[in-house]
Amino acid sequence: MKPVPLVLLITSVLLTTHIPLSTCRPRDLSLMSNQLDDALLTRAGDDAMSYLVGEKLLQYLQRNVGAQKAGGVLHLQHFPTARLRSPHEDNSLEELTEFSKRNDDPPISIDLTFHLLRNMIEMARNENQREQAELNRKYLDEVGK
Amino acid sequence: MSGTSRAQLCFLLLSVTALRGHARFLDIQDNEISPEGLLSLLSSELKRELPEEFVYRRALRCLDMVAIEGQFTFTAERPQLNCAVFFIGEPSDIISIEYDSVNIDCRGGDFIKVFDGWVMKGEKFPSTQDHLLPLYERYSDYCETGVSRPITRSSQNVAMLFFRLHQSGSSFTVTFRKLINPFPCNVVSQTPEGSFTMVIPQQHRNCSFSIIYPVEIQIGELSLGQHNDLKRSILGCAGSGDFVELLGGNGMDTSKMFPMADLCYSFNGPAQMKVGCDNTVVRMVSSGKFVNRVSFRYRLLGHQELQQMKGNSVEDVCLRA
Repeated sequence: MKPVPLVLLITSVLLTTHIPLSTCRPRDLSLMSNQLDDALLTRAGDDAMSYLVGEKLLQYLQRNVGAQKAGGVLHLQHFPTARLRSPHEDNSLEELTEFSKRNDDPPISIDLTFHLLRNMIEMARNENQREQAELNRKYLDEVGK
Repeated sequence: MSGTSRAQLCFLLLSVTALRGHARFLDIQDNEISPEGLLSLLSSELKRELPEEFVYRRALRCLDMVAIEGQFTFTAERPQLNCAVFFIGEPSDIISIEYDSVNIDCRGGDFIKVFDGWVMKGEKFPSTQDHLLPLYERYSDYCETGVSRPITRSSQNVAMLFFRLHQSGSSFTVTFRKLINPFPCNVVSQTPEGSFTMVIPQQHRNCSFSIIYPVEIQIGELSLGQHNDLKRSILGCAGSGDFVELLGGNGMDTSKMFPMADLCYSFNGPAQMKVGCDNTVVRMVSSGKFVNRVSFRYRLLGHQELQQMKGNSVEDVCLRA
């Protein structure tokens, strides 16, 4: 085989095996979240209002307000993704049930007093200073060699 | 074309195709490339990498506070349903959390979430008014985006990890790094004593410096807008788009705290105030038209001073809460 066609063949093979740029963009969760929010709004009446449900509602409301503010421009951006996601409806329904399962659990916050928080910060600072001293000693030992 | 030059051209073509490019996603908000976005891209290249033997490693506890860079592993010996790890850096740091290895059961209800800020008793720092991102964007769930985006970066010097592991034996490892933030906005102070200069360079945003202790604040210098702005001095704080307020309260959320003082005019020379609350905040509101700067020092209020304050005041807002 002549070298030039061989090179062209290898080139085309290498180019096609490159990772396309589109995979570097973050997954667009907006459509899935919209479906989740619809499910949550209907479920909210059944369960006790957990913090996470509240957060999701806030998210839904904020995004709605955001969409209204942005006007038509935002809608245009969402339409293509809507068409793309429809074949994957089964997958998103699965994720929906998982998410609502997580929703039954206690809210995501922590009840800590400031007193405890302050002590924890002090302990963390001590750890940091101790290790920084240790690291400095190691660096000096390296330099000294 | 001669044989050798053709061979060289072919070789060149081969080596060009063998090069791999890296695509980066730049978070563009409001259709503009912000200086923060570009800076974050650059700072990731300039991150200093410690050699392997110098990386600090330890096990993570269910409730933990981390102020040191390193690699932290949590292994569940029994089901752990409500765990939180607080990360804190110096005021001029921002926090980067990277998932190194994660062995959890997402479908079984396990989760690891990174929160951009701190949440305590449902109150968030920075408040929704002071943070650039909407609330839902401040939570990032490993099970949703962790595999595709393993590095999460905070917007200020504090961040949190919430996690739940149902099965014993589940584990995860995260690497915590501190990156430099040239214009810190929203800071939680690690210490009850210190000093800080907050600069908001022509940005329309609000920044809070939170000291979770009862302190005396001494403001050394305040520069709001332009120096000889006579028109603005007539308006007062209510009409001004640029001012500094001192807040006091018993929670983390600055929007739920009580204003202790308002400062609307530039001045030089110390002005001090004692705030006997669990959380004292210096908050700067900036319109974006000017470069605003405030320098202050703070020191812990002693027990006697606090008792004296309780005795003097008829109604102490912080004691009431």
